[in-house]
Amino acid sequence: MTTLMINGKQYELDAEDDMPLLWAIRDIAGLTGTKFGCGIGMCGACSIHLDGELVRSCMIPFGAAKDKAITTIEGLATEEGLHPLQQAWIDKDVSQCGYCQPGQIMAAAALLRENPNPSEDEIRTKMTNYCRCGTYLQIFEAVKQAAQFHGEQS
Amino acid sequence: MSTLSNLSMTRRQFLGTAAAGAGVFVLGISLPGCAKVDEQGEGVINAFIGIDENGVVTFQNPFIEMGQGTYTSIPAIMAEELDADMAMLKVVQAPHGPEYRIMFNNTTRFTGGSFSVRSSYMTMRKAGATARAMLIKAAADTWRVPPGECTTEPGVVIHRESGKKLTYGELAPLAAKLNIPADVPLKDHASFRLIGKPVKRTDNRVKATGEAEFGIDIKVDGLLYAAVKQSPVFGGSVQSYDQDAVLKMPGVVAVEEIPNGVAVIADQYWRAKKALEQLPVTFDEGDNADFSSKSYLEKLKAALNESGVRVENVGDADKALSEAAKTIEAVYHAPFLAHQTMEPMNCTALVTKDHCKVWAPNQGADFVAKVAAEITGLKLDTIEVITPFLGGGFGRRFIMDYTAQAVTLAKKHPGRPIKVIWTREEDTQHDHYRPMTAAKYRAGFDAQGNPLAIQITTAGEGPSGRLNPEFLEDPAIDESIFEGGPHQPYGIPNKRAELVNVPVKPLPIGYWRSVGNSQNAFFKESFIDEMSHAVSADPVEFRRNLLTEQPRFKKVLDTAAGMANWKSEVWQDENGIKHAMGVALHESFGSIVAQVAEVALDDGDIRVVRVWCAVDCGFAVNPAIVKMQMESGIVFGLSAAWSEEITLEKGRVMQSNFHDYPILRPDQMPDVEVEIINSGEPLGGIGEPGTPPIAPAVCNALFKLTGQRVRSLPLSQYTF
Repeated sequence: MTTLMINGKQYELDAEDDMPLLWAIRDIAGLTGTKFGCGIGMCGACSIHLDGELVRSCMIPFGAAKDKAITTIEGLATEEGLHPLQQAWIDKDVSQCGYCQPGQIMAAAALLRENPNPSEDEIRTKMTNYCRCGTYLQIFEAVKQAAQFHGEQS
Repeated sequence: MSTLSNLSMTRRQFLGTAAAGAGVFVLGISLPGCAKVDEQGEGVINAFIGIDENGVVTFQNPFIEMGQGTYTSIPAIMAEELDADMAMLKVVQAPHGPEYRIMFNNTTRFTGGSFSVRSSYMTMRKAGATARAMLIKAAADTWRVPPGECTTEPGVVIHRESGKKLTYGELAPLAAKLNIPADVPLKDHASFRLIGKPVKRTDNRVKATGEAEFGIDIKVDGLLYAAVKQSPVFGGSVQSYDQDAVLKMPGVVAVEEIPNGVAVIADQYWRAKKALEQLPVTFDEGDNADFSSKSYLEKLKAALNESGVRVENVGDADKALSEAAKTIEAVYHAPFLAHQTMEPMNCTALVTKDHCKVWAPNQGADFVAKVAAEITGLKLDTIEVITPFLGGGFGRRFIMDYTAQAVTLAKKHPGRPIKVIWTREEDTQHDHYRPMTAAKYRAGFDAQGNPLAIQITTAGEGPSGRLNPEFLEDPAIDESIFEGGPHQPYGIPNKRAELVNVPVKPLPIGYWRSVGNSQNAFFKESFIDEMSHAVSADPVEFRRNLLTEQPRFKKVLDTAAGMANWKSEVWQDENGIKHAMGVALHESFGSIVAQVAEVALDDGDIRVVRVWCAVDCGFAVNPAIVKMQMESGIVFGLSAAWSEEITLEKGRVMQSNFHDYPILRPDQMPDVEVEIINSGEPLGGIGEPGTPPIAPAVCNALFKLTGQRVRSLPLSQYTF
């Protein structure tokens, strides 16, 4: 049994150390907002935060996440409500099929934490997750809206 | 906020909730125009609409949601006539069965062909209007007033004179007992609150929180996971495997054969996958281990010199070409393509002695039920199909191969739910591919440069003939391989088109977003561009002159050109980088789309800067979704044009994942502007028509920039 801390909650997981964190989060902790897309760290559907850092969870062995704080899409909202990015995603009707969007939102959250006021260029180059439905322009717009909200709050 | 669950209920459960007295009452709405008698000769009532005591309207959607917006557009059409707010709706997926086959005179039901809104628009309006009339009647009876004195506001019936009100929730139990009226009048367009308006998506919240449940996310007690390995050569089969080598690995439950491969079942997906990787397995490659896409392309090119089945014949193209002052000819081809839905193929199934439950991402619940019934031997009415949200479809999820695997495995382990998940590699290498196609175009002009004739020969094999031969009126003419080439709107007096069918068996082929239009619009609109340059005409002006009899097409073209402030010439930006515009115009699925692409070439690197898109789909039921689908279609087409290609050697697909089958990245994304033309013509489709014009629009701009004519895709094979 290994203990993982996901979204501030402890999970006792029975798995081999080489199991990608993605599958531990999905199939053992039962948090299925984090998606499987490619398994080679390219598409970003499995993006999560590990000790606050954006990672692609299909590339992180489960064993390497012990003693680290894991945040998934399910842990992004607080008691006060949705994360400003989630609200922006709703306001802008970003999602089409929606499969990649939890990963997109996690990537955007990391971007805004690093730089609360990114330029258009930074958004376009630092948001690297794939979307097969082609919602990229809406994603860029939603990140801008959330950044603006951040600006007004601080 | 609208509540939404994406899980299906069987009709029995749907009606049963009402019977159980749980406060849910179902308006058994027999949809006018689609009242149907099932195989048993029993009258069937279509139960699309249920209303509970709180006024929550449960809508059983016959169309699946794969991103294209059917969980918003379809219920909005119904809610318009019912007079309900979108926030009152709960959208669920209808189960399989004849009562939900509302397409094509109640013969079928699927989600594809850009058919959802246009095939059900009137049906859904009538369903809502009929329910509203019954609620009004129930209120009028309660108040002992004529129904004509009553009206509605969203969710409420009002007696105009007295101001008395009753909610839909209060009235539903009474309304459900009433006879279903026929020929209920529909609203005037002028009074629409939802139709024609940019109604927000009903699924936007669950898709931003991670709560949206896709097939791969299904949770069932006692769930087992299966990883599969299919024969790398199409048509091959399992020869031998050594299950003892992996049965003792942690969590492994069983090793089983599936129709064209082998599966490992374990308590965790990762354990199943790891054991599968270590399982010694050999395949009998069958007869197709010598197939290569390169040699198939040579066959297609050779076939272009044969005479084929005539599919269009106007005037005398042979004569006109022989008399022409000038002729041009070009040969084009387009590669095999994969769908690459972001959610890989997966399916969960549970089989017991007398019941089978299947959780399957699908583009047609009836297809799932049919496959499950065939494999289990159970009757259709004991098969339960649950359709979750789809993480993309694009035509891939018509094919039930992954469903068959899950049901096969579940049948071998009765009482245990089993979830099959394909890796991206299996998904890429066992798709049903957009067929490779080649075409030869010839045109002739008179001495003044006016086009006299166009002649097209297309070679390939279409997906319809393979998958749905019943769709073909003439088995020799499979439109799904040449559609979008012949039958052009351009006023060219002599036209001839032929098809040479070149079977590509055993390679699985399928419907890929916009089907034959995806390659033939590239051929046709590139060649029209070649024609314009051959007579030194501006590509927009050249097309306009051929559209004097086609005002609808002309308006779409003019709109896109106007939006772009069309530039005929190449120009340089402030950094000295060259830019040019290319145009394409194409009708598909009943909608006409024109796109202008601005392309820049920076030291050999292509940048698609901006796309202007005009669309005439008759009438935009949800203009926000129409715009998003144009953008989505453009990305899909641009991605393929830029870098997508499936190749085969020794019978095997050579690509396996996004590193060797790259899809469009965010940093490649052009800006897109869309303008909708509400022409009032019959409704056209929207999910697909945005895809075909983008490849030729971009390639036509590249020609201006480089002088190099792109006659095969993808662009990544060229050096500019």
